[in-house]
Amino acid sequence: MIRFDNVTKLYKGETRAVNGVTLNIEKGEFVFLVGPSGSGKSTMLRLMTCEEKVTAGDIHVAGKDLSKLNSWRVPYLRRNIGSVFQDFKLLPNKTVYQNVAFALEVIGRPENVIRTQVPAILELVGLEDKHRRFPDELSGGEQQRVSIARAFVNRPLILLADEPTGNLDPDTSQELTSLLDRINRTGTTVVMATHDRTIVDRMRRRVIALRHGELVRDEQRGAYGSETDSPEALGVHPVDGASP
Amino acid sequence: MSRIRYFARETWTNIRRNLTLTFAAILTVAVGVMLVGMGLMAGYASGNALDRWEGGVQFEVFLNPQIDPSQIDALGIELQTHPEIDRIEFFSAEEAYALVSQQMADQPELLAQVSPEALPASYRVVPRSVEAELIESLAAQFRQRPGVMSVQTGREEVDAIRTWFTSFQGIVLLLSIVLSGASVMLIFNSIRVAMFARRREIEVMKLVGATNSFIRFPFMLEGMLHGLAGGIIGAIAAGALRGHVEGLFSRSDILAFFRSFVVTSNQFTTVVFVTVIAGVLVGMIGSAFAASRFLDV
Ligand SMILES: Nc1ncnc2c1ncn2[C@@H]1O[C@H](COP(=O)(O)OP(=O)(O)OP(=O)(O)O)[C@@H](O)[C@H]1O
Ligand SMILES: [Mg+2]
Repeated sequence: MIRFDNVTKLYKGETRAVNGVTLNIEKGEFVFLVGPSGSGKSTMLRLMTCEEKVTAGDIHVAGKDLSKLNSWRVPYLRRNIGSVFQDFKLLPNKTVYQNVAFALEVIGRPENVIRTQVPAILELVGLEDKHRRFPDELSGGEQQRVSIARAFVNRPLILLADEPTGNLDPDTSQELTSLLDRINRTGTTVVMATHDRTIVDRMRRRVIALRHGELVRDEQRGAYGSETDSPEALGVHPVDGASP
Repeated sequence: MSRIRYFARETWTNIRRNLTLTFAAILTVAVGVMLVGMGLMAGYASGNALDRWEGGVQFEVFLNPQIDPSQIDALGIELQTHPEIDRIEFFSAEEAYALVSQQMADQPELLAQVSPEALPASYRVVPRSVEAELIESLAAQFRQRPGVMSVQTGREEVDAIRTWFTSFQGIVLLLSIVLSGASVMLIFNSIRVAMFARRREIEVMKLVGATNSFIRFPFMLEGMLHGLAGGIIGAIAAGALRGHVEGLFSRSDILAFFRSFVVTSNQFTTVVFVTVIAGVLVGMIGSAFAASRFLDV
């Protein structure tokens, strides 16, 4: 579903945000992307949606070679990818319903589809009774659920989440992660960049760790790990060995 | 259907959001295209007036002062019976003098130098046809007759007036180009502001995979509507101007020429069409420019 072949991304020709990363994510996987701040997690996600172009290497997403993708086809690629962010990116002057409907409206979905899909997705995220509220009338967790509903309403193949729980308390973060888990169980590939140790450790899913733009660990049922906290620990792994 | 509703709603919100800029843009377009219309109408009206004057009204056959009365009568009969001539009018030297002294009433010292004998008598001839070429050939025919001093058609005056109108049109055209440029820039700017105000929406649209053309369309539509509104206002202003000028000239006793200074309704339709199209074009150019400049993937 997502394949990186020796991908390097240089910003302005100098910052090596991603450096020679090769990885393969299969359909239906749930992947945590971890690493210290500035390690290139967001850049990886932006490369997948064509918000940024690779400097070297190849990326395949949903069967498309992104380096060969015409710029006018990028929107159609994005219809297969839902995106969720730490800051929700909801439109403050639209209600919950309108925010979600907007995503279908602007890709030209007919009204009858919108009228059936939006309530269904709001029920899935548990906001059916708050569909008339405006974003500032919701808690952070509820706002993030709206943003997940918006990302998922078009039933994309892939859902990318960049620190979706970054602004939320531990319980709410846990609720949201289980929502993403449920979405994953429908067959949607989920990639979640996060700093949230508790969640990663509890979920026991595939973990891909980055440092200075390089892939330093890729484990099928991994934990948050130590290299993401202290750079000195990298390559030594005393904590890994000591932990039960 | 949902698309149409979406575009209508988005465009309307945009317009409401920055009314002052919208107004400035619309008014500039209006003035600009009104000038386009004015130039066009001046061209039409002067053309119409010149056609009538040039062809139609009359020419004057001046007679030698030494001509004898029988010759005057013979010439008169010849003119009157000529198949191309509708009617004639005789002005004796005395009548010519009376006219001149009336015109120079406030310059007696100048008038004193004019003697009645020096002024030629003349026939004013109204031809049947209004074709300029025919009148020229008629005039040429009578220029050869014995006793004829000269024959004057309106040609030189017409040429002078035409030159004047051509340069007037040039100035108006130049002004309208300058104003159209200013309108394009104002619309560019108001669309830029609209896009900035909606940057969150645009960000979300890109995120969920709206195509560039879909994102641009409401802004292009808005620019086009600015242009259309400006074009319509400009056309109305041009219409008012037409009515005013024609009213003014139709009462003009000084210059018979200006009485035929009119724009036919067919021509006015063209003027309205051109001004409105010009407005829409200006709006499209300004907004297309803004959309392509500020909306890259
Ligand atoms: N648009 C940009 N222009 C230039 N440099 C950038 C840009 N975006 C990111 N970078 C740089 O690229 C590197 C990786 O940044 P990125 O945002 O991918 O890290 P991250 O892992 O998401 O960090 P965080 O956990 O803080 O979100 C950083 O050094 C950052 O300064
Ligand atoms: Mg980041």
